[in-house]
Amino acid sequence: MEWTDLIVIAVKTAIIYLGMVQVVPIMLIVERRGAAFIQDRPGPNRVGPFGLFQPIADVIKMMMKEVISPRQVNKALYLLGPFLVLLPASLIVAALPFGDFFTLFDKSYMIQIANLDVGILYVLAIGSLGIYGILFGGWASNNKFSLIGAMRATSQIISYEIPLGLAACGAVLSYGSFSLREMVMAQEGTLLGALPHWGIFYQPLGFLLFFIAAFAETNRLPFDLPETEAELVAGFHTEYGPMDFGTFFMAEYMNMATMSALMVSIYFGGWHLPWISDATLLEGLGSRNLLALLQVLTVIVKISFFMLVFVWVRWTIPRFRFDQLMRLAWKNLIPLGLINLVITALIFYFKGAI
Amino acid sequence: MNFPLSMTYWSHFVVVAMFALGLLGFLLRKNTIVVLMSIELMLNAVNLLLIETSMRTHTSEGIILVVFVVTVAAAEVAVGLAIVLNLYRMKGSVNLDHFKSLQG
Amino acid sequence: MREGLFIAFSLFTIAAASGVVLSKNPVYSAFSLILSFFGLSGLYLLWGSTFMAMIQILIYTGAIVVLFVFVVMLLNLQVIRENSPNLLFVGVVSATVWFFSLIILRVLTRAIPTNVTEIPTNQLRTISKLLFTRYLWPFEVLSLFLLVMIVAIFAITRAQEISHGGEKV
Repeated sequence: MEWTDLIVIAVKTAIIYLGMVQVVPIMLIVERRGAAFIQDRPGPNRVGPFGLFQPIADVIKMMMKEVISPRQVNKALYLLGPFLVLLPASLIVAALPFGDFFTLFDKSYMIQIANLDVGILYVLAIGSLGIYGILFGGWASNNKFSLIGAMRATSQIISYEIPLGLAACGAVLSYGSFSLREMVMAQEGTLLGALPHWGIFYQPLGFLLFFIAAFAETNRLPFDLPETEAELVAGFHTEYGPMDFGTFFMAEYMNMATMSALMVSIYFGGWHLPWISDATLLEGLGSRNLLALLQVLTVIVKISFFMLVFVWVRWTIPRFRFDQLMRLAWKNLIPLGLINLVITALIFYFKGAI
Repeated sequence: MNFPLSMTYWSHFVVVAMFALGLLGFLLRKNTIVVLMSIELMLNAVNLLLIETSMRTHTSEGIILVVFVVTVAAAEVAVGLAIVLNLYRMKGSVNLDHFKSLQG
Repeated sequence: MREGLFIAFSLFTIAAASGVVLSKNPVYSAFSLILSFFGLSGLYLLWGSTFMAMIQILIYTGAIVVLFVFVVMLLNLQVIRENSPNLLFVGVVSATVWFFSLIILRVLTRAIPTNVTEIPTNQLRTISKLLFTRYLWPFEVLSLFLLVMIVAIFAITRAQEISHGGEKV
């Protein structure tokens, strides 16, 4: 490996990661305006044109506020909490595919930080670490509400990891690979002449399970039991000051973005446009890098769609009760996941993988 | 892939040290939960040995054994912690010294 | 480079594992346990077993230690006063373990040939194939075992409720 390679890879990694972080300010305004749109009110529209500078104002507000930390907390774990939530959310970005290849100096580079052959296992493994930040942060706050929020978050995330994993197993079976990149590669072209060759048509039930579990994993409404403001003040981040809260906030949006990117890669064809194969596109565009740009744009559009769905669901569906949440996971989603797995196994045993 | 011999030695060092630490924690600590954690340490020491041997000799048996060990360990922890919770409900403590009703 | 990483991960794992045994507060023990599992996962990666490294994080760190932390926090334990350990006992136990393990490990290193020609190209595929062919029966027994464990846990945690006429906690 030459030094130019190292520089290109470093720059590529920085661009992909920083691009993912941009989700946070964008979602800040999208969520508030989206809520306002659904509730039929104007929303934040004073700062800049159409209120577009609202995120900057919010961030400045958070930065300028006095940092308060309660006296009776366990200092080390209290300070560690927000970072333990943000770190896994950031690490997942490494395995997500955003495009095929781009060429620079007559060499081609993947538009993905690391092409892991156990990509989906990596994502599930790192994703399951996000609990620790909530758990340690909530416990260290030395507050009953925080502790209850942390406990709820743990039982919820552990429970919903099972349907998530079962849905992922179904996908792994149908693609015959653990690598996210290979999964996306398999979704090119058309299916039965009319449909796009996307994973959702092979795994409709799996996608439904994955979609529901994704809401629970990211602690979003209708499953935001860890931070129900009506019961628990603010749940696990009750005792946290301005920027610590901001870190939790960032982690939540990063998690949403990575979950959306996962759904796009596994079930919605990743960087492929529906129906059109890459070879046709390359012929039409004539340039590898133009194709790469188109692929990245496709992924961004697909991710944005899912982010909008997250916002839409949040302001439409009321919150579950905790026992309902648990019943949904253990009595409905897990049996469905097992059934999905068995059916998939049977079909692909007789037919062979995609 | 070729593995230098020092990697094997360092692995064995970790295996032995972890196993010894786990055994000592198992024998000396009074907190039932920490005792369970020490058992996990011992199991993981053995896992490392199995994986190291398996990778060094290019065989798969060790890794399959580790898959079984991990599954059993998960179940063991779940049952162990359920018992600890019940003990706490009965005695109000998880100190091992308080659980001696079966002592002759 | 690889050997340096190996030494670093080894020492990190040992340090974290001693943290598990030595810390007074069980919450810190659990935290050290997480760190030591990360160290082990790194060692697995260096040995080339990506699959086991991921399984280590997914199952041990992501599920088992969460259970530990959950129970510790649920019970909200005070620190239990430990007897100061008998140093002679500690010394004897460690020395015995070191002695026997080193002998066993040395024998193990010698007994197994270090250069087998068959190299699994796709480790995951090999493992899965073996699990469903040669090790099918252990695998099936394991699933039965898991079912028994679930029933056992249910019986243990719900026993009092059932004896009290099924009242809810």
